[in-house]
Amino acid sequence: MKTLFSFFFILLFSAVELTAEKTEERVQMFAALSMTKAQESSSVPTDAGVFLYNNEGQWTRFGPKIINIASATADSRNPDTIYLACGNGISRSRDGGKTWRMTTGWEVSDVKTIAIDPTDQNNVYAATAWGVWLTRDGGESWVEATTGLPKKYSRTILLDPSDPNRLLVGTEGGIYVSHDKAQTWKHVPTSPETTVFRIKQSKANPNLWIAGTHKNGVLLSTDNGKTWASTAPTLRKANIYGVAADSSNATHLAASGWGVGVSISIDSGKTWIDRSEGLPSPHVLALVFDQNHPGRLWASTFEEGTFYTDDLGLTWYEGGIYGAYVWDLGFLPQKP
Amino acid sequence: MPFFSVFRHRVSATLFTTCLVFPLTSVAQQPSYLPPDSGEILSQYRERCDYVLSQAVTTTSSFDETQGDLFGVAANLDRKTNLEWARKRLRTFNEPPTGNMFWMIPMVLIMQTGRDTLNDDDWAYIRKLWKTYYPYRGDTENHWLMYYTGQYLAAEMFPDDGPEHWFNGKSSAENMDEARSYIEDWIDITISHGQGEFDSPNYADVYIRPLLLLTGWVKDPSFRHKARMILDYILLDYAVESLDGFYGGAHSRVYPRHVIVPSLNAINPLGWLFFGQGEYRYNATHIIAVLSGYTPPTILFHIANDRTKPYIQRELKRTRWRLRNAGPNSFEVKGKRTVPVYKYSYVDSDFILGSCQGGLLQPIQQQTWSLIWRGPTGSSNTFFGLQPHSSPFEGSMYFGEDPDTVTDLIARSKVDYDSEDKLQGGSPYEQVFQHETALIALYDIPKDARFPLIHTFFSRDLKQREEDSSGWIFAQGGPVYIAYRPFAPGEWKPVDWTGLLKSGAGGFVSTGFAALSEGSQSYASYERQNGYIVQIAPSREHDSFESFKTAVKALPLEFSLSPTPSATFTSLDGSELQVSYGKPPSINGNDVEYSSWKLFDGPFSQSERGSKRLEMQYDRERYILDFNTVTIEETIIPSR
Repeated sequence: MKTLFSFFFILLFSAVELTAEKTEERVQMFAALSMTKAQESSSVPTDAGVFLYNNEGQWTRFGPKIINIASATADSRNPDTIYLACGNGISRSRDGGKTWRMTTGWEVSDVKTIAIDPTDQNNVYAATAWGVWLTRDGGESWVEATTGLPKKYSRTILLDPSDPNRLLVGTEGGIYVSHDKAQTWKHVPTSPETTVFRIKQSKANPNLWIAGTHKNGVLLSTDNGKTWASTAPTLRKANIYGVAADSSNATHLAASGWGVGVSISIDSGKTWIDRSEGLPSPHVLALVFDQNHPGRLWASTFEEGTFYTDDLGLTWYEGGIYGAYVWDLGFLPQKP
Repeated sequence: MPFFSVFRHRVSATLFTTCLVFPLTSVAQQPSYLPPDSGEILSQYRERCDYVLSQAVTTTSSFDETQGDLFGVAANLDRKTNLEWARKRLRTFNEPPTGNMFWMIPMVLIMQTGRDTLNDDDWAYIRKLWKTYYPYRGDTENHWLMYYTGQYLAAEMFPDDGPEHWFNGKSSAENMDEARSYIEDWIDITISHGQGEFDSPNYADVYIRPLLLLTGWVKDPSFRHKARMILDYILLDYAVESLDGFYGGAHSRVYPRHVIVPSLNAINPLGWLFFGQGEYRYNATHIIAVLSGYTPPTILFHIANDRTKPYIQRELKRTRWRLRNAGPNSFEVKGKRTVPVYKYSYVDSDFILGSCQGGLLQPIQQQTWSLIWRGPTGSSNTFFGLQPHSSPFEGSMYFGEDPDTVTDLIARSKVDYDSEDKLQGGSPYEQVFQHETALIALYDIPKDARFPLIHTFFSRDLKQREEDSSGWIFAQGGPVYIAYRPFAPGEWKPVDWTGLLKSGAGGFVSTGFAALSEGSQSYASYERQNGYIVQIAPSREHDSFESFKTAVKALPLEFSLSPTPSATFTSLDGSELQVSYGKPPSINGNDVEYSSWKLFDGPFSQSERGSKRLEMQYDRERYILDFNTVTIEETIIPSR
């Protein structure tokens, strides 16, 4: 009975969230990238930064041109507040991108992803190559938050929207969880001790989480990130850099990696099918389901362009940014 | 006086053992060094400085605003010459600005030297550049030192400016605070744990540039003095393992062209400027040095030039910060992990043989051991060996890219990184041990290694190379006899990068490589369990090449390759050296105690771990850099 209740609660929760999303949130897709294809005889990409995808199907620069921006995040309640995860640190805009300030000092570098507390925008968390950092004052000051992390390299960090005290971080030593706003971390026992490149939570089914790992393929959690298990047997030894959950359909998941292209699941991760045919490269490093086009999946290959599909990978269409090493694809909320 | 005693003891011991083996030749033929007085040293330094600036000005193509670098602009601004060209070149060079932290260095130099010369339009143009061009901070300590030096000095010129004036949205005061904090932290770590990008014949130059700028122009006397002290420190590090301006021993980073023709290294022109060694060759660092007003302490001149007595130099360094795959031997410094590097160099009047312990100590460009000998500019006066290795594991250790892309992206600029023909790089399957003029290298390479071979570079400038039936390979490099005993058969291969260069990448890393390498060969051995002995001797210590060969062939040697390589060798000085792969080596039955290694330990330099104090010594002169008190103490010990 309890299980049944939970099931209906989740369905109700999902429906409410989906409705709210469709009616209230305007979002724009971004790509955080480095143009490496044309990088010859140089250690420096020919271009880099965050680019936004507009209604005309074009990518335009957003924010400063800095080498090595790995991701972007905006406050869902105040879309003018945007953070960029940069090699140089954490850059913040409070005016929708008109002006930017590097909020961190020399101590913070090689930032990979950033998570903002939806209930208190002063709490912001950053996964960096040197560990997790946090701010309690909206980026005015940052402190290291690695207590309990034996290996600090952190690539991806997520905050549980149902419990803002709870965060998950993907590190070199696996997935770690915090229940005290990143003050302390504990290893999630079912997570293999390997680098976790990406973690995503399904908005359509908040209990469903998916992670991509180094040499351990795809991990799946069906209990809100508490326990994890390997899925997608054909990808079990692969390096999975891209994972995605369709916010418009709770059963649709995607995973991508080096040499393995894109795989799709339409049954919440129970079974997987390869949908790489039509892509110019088997090396797919970033994935995202489109929040403006329900069911559309975007995939960025290593330097051979970004592509989208409206039929779960049966057909792929060119989406631009040829030559890019896309670190992250995602969505930034826009002002209503 | 304990320091002095150590010096005397070591020299005495060396001479004693040398005399024991070669009683007729060793002492009589020691080279001489007549120390010039300080006035003469300074006078000649100033002459070289004048030459540098006159060259920079007279070689300016004042009619062509597309030629010349920003350092030349700075020199002309300082001399108030070719000003029209300088203003135009400043603009053409920055359309658009490129180079990130490498751009920041000449820009602040221009701002300092052009204080009284640049007009309002020039300043407006420069200010706009600092607001609109967003330099990347980079991924190495040399990048960061340049970045923060540039940031500090640029902000210092406009100390009251708000965040709207700067690319990063911080005020001048904030930028100065951040920059100084980083620079002082880097200094503290360097003097406490050793330099990360240590002893690089190329990148030492890139550290010296920002330190010269800080020494020359920082307004705060305390900070400027500290910068001057660490500049002296880095120059001592170079001087004490140099020979005629060549940087000897193991290196954190070195490029392919430079590794086979060492005079091409960026550091050599600094040996000319600071220590009067070798020949003049353009290096932009010259211009910074001259304009900064920095004068190296004269004791460094003596340390760099006096090679009358062979000596052993031990040093403790560290690897660059490891962001992943740090390993069980790593330790943490202020939140970042590193591994100790134990350097050992034997510095002779005619050669330097130096090494570190082996392993993945630096990304990409490590040189684990090398021999250089006195040779003319442009010669291939070097001998070294390596196990060519590349791996995502290594790349991920030091760089933020993904494991599947990191090797490819490294090779975009370091074309040789993923080639079995590479001439530098560390290997996880290599262990090296050196005692004075003898060196043992062991290799235990797994089946799935990227390149299951080792190779040793035999320069075209080696004479009398011959493979003896005893298994030894003998050769002569200038005034040095070389004996090389491979433990497994090998084959001679040309040092040929033809195919590699066709891949497109290369740039300055490999420009003209074919001409530089032509005639040199690699001795390549594909046995996975492998090793070799290197025994060096100055030719002055032997009656003939034949007598050297006879002496070496008589040396006791035992080795085995299975299950893991090991060797026991009695060197020319009579010491029994024993090492088994993966275990500590021993000398005459005593294990080498790496844990007691000092930051600097040699006759000219002493620095205890954690002391934050470096003592330089030459004859009766003492020059002490005490970072605890940020003071320099210069004394002359009275003669007895």
